[in-house]
Amino acid sequence: MSTPSPTKTGMIDFRGVSKWFGTLNVLKDITLSVEPREVVVVCGPSGSGKSTLIRCINGLEAIKDGDLIVDGQRLGDPATNMTQLRTEIGFVFQSFNLYPHKTALENVTLAPIHVRKIARAEAEQAGRELLAKVGLADKVDAYPSQLSGGQQQRVAIARCLGMRPKIMLFDEPTSALDPEMISEVLDVMVAVAEEGMTMMVVTHEMGFARKVAQRVVFMDAGAIVESGTPEEFFSAPKTDRSRAFLSKILRH
Amino acid sequence: MAVPARLCCSRLRYSLFAIRYSLLAIRPSLFPRRAPMLENFSFRTIVEYLPLFGQGLITTVWLSALSFAGALAVGIVLAAMNLQRAQLFRIPAKAYIDAVRATPLLAQLYFLYFGLPRLGFVLPELVVGILALSLNSGAYVAEIIRAGILSIPRGQVEAGVASGMTYVQRMRLVILPQAFKVTIPPLLGQAIVLVKDSALLSLISVSELTRAGQLLASDRFMPAEGFITIAAFYLLLYYCLKGLAGLSSRWLGLQPARSST
Repeated sequence: MSTPSPTKTGMIDFRGVSKWFGTLNVLKDITLSVEPREVVVVCGPSGSGKSTLIRCINGLEAIKDGDLIVDGQRLGDPATNMTQLRTEIGFVFQSFNLYPHKTALENVTLAPIHVRKIARAEAEQAGRELLAKVGLADKVDAYPSQLSGGQQQRVAIARCLGMRPKIMLFDEPTSALDPEMISEVLDVMVAVAEEGMTMMVVTHEMGFARKVAQRVVFMDAGAIVESGTPEEFFSAPKTDRSRAFLSKILRH
Repeated sequence: MAVPARLCCSRLRYSLFAIRYSLLAIRPSLFPRRAPMLENFSFRTIVEYLPLFGQGLITTVWLSALSFAGALAVGIVLAAMNLQRAQLFRIPAKAYIDAVRATPLLAQLYFLYFGLPRLGFVLPELVVGILALSLNSGAYVAEIIRAGILSIPRGQVEAGVASGMTYVQRMRLVILPQAFKVTIPPLLGQAIVLVKDSALLSLISVSELTRAGQLLASDRFMPAEGFITIAAFYLLLYYCLKGLAGLSSRWLGLQPARSST
């Protein structure tokens, strides 16, 4: 186990975290701290463990070794109420995962009503405001199947915001979208970041990273290879692997 | 009543002859001359026995309905057990489902019919029959429900988990409403199978539809009249259930489509 920094703990604190899928070591001794209101972009080649990294934060994946402390609570500790903790963490999936049998508004209000126990009228008003905020005021009663990919992903972001989370995690939120829909989703994410949300975003959208991220973390083969400000990372990558990666994604 | 029946028969006979003689030219040895098969078919006897068939039909309908309700109850419990991670629940459920699927319904029926009295439960034949059909069909219903729940994409579960829902909340709010729609058509298919299986209850002398046919056949030595008639009634029931399935799928079609994800 690595020695944690004794003084301060971030909003999300990985301390020597490792994880295996069978014999495959998907996370290797990850140490990373995300401050409140910080926006961290995680990038790296396919299979480098980026998604697994952020899925560990809300316990969709369990860690094997090390400590992961989220909002002051240690994951895997019997005293930590995971269900409670998850209400503080919004998670946006690559494939949206909206509830197909619920309207956009019901998707947004379902967890606030049943998990947060907010009164229905209040939750619905908040839900309408959130949908208006992501530009979908006219799609309140639409079902996910009636929405485009970009619209679905914006509903998914509104669904997370409806829980008033402290942290938002994005797992390749634009990878499943047609090119012309990417910017509408990124615009919403920029707006959320500018309101001071703590965010970890797995993405290859370098424009987004430059605009709002305080830090870019580059992963390869389950380890953090490089970490720095977007400016440093994009203009002067320090390792061969990050240079090779950037040359591939920036060429087009 | 008998006159149009004769008329119908003779017309049918004529067309059968026409076919036979046209084929005879090709392979005469294949079609030896025989008495026409519908010559003695007695619609009059069927009409005479119609009240008996009617009673049998009604009994078949309500005992099938009761059995299907029982099957749903058994199926829901078994499916819930089978979906648990704990072996304690899964092993008995799997063993039960395997046992039911591996053995003939007739054997199960006799097992209950002769076995229950030995254990001190002397029940009317009708109750034993409904019990047997419920327990048998329940195993199949359990697999349909389980498949329906497992067909819901993993992402739906994860979305529920990520928003802090408990297992029960996820099931109630996210999984079951979606699984319900997926299971309606195969459940109606199982209901059709159950209606046909209920014919076996005639063997423990429940006076349902098949029993009516048997009575006609043995009273009058007219097996064709007895069994063709009950077949027609089963066909009628089949089309009723099929119509119900069509209505339900149209109703489900109006509901939002399943996730494209």
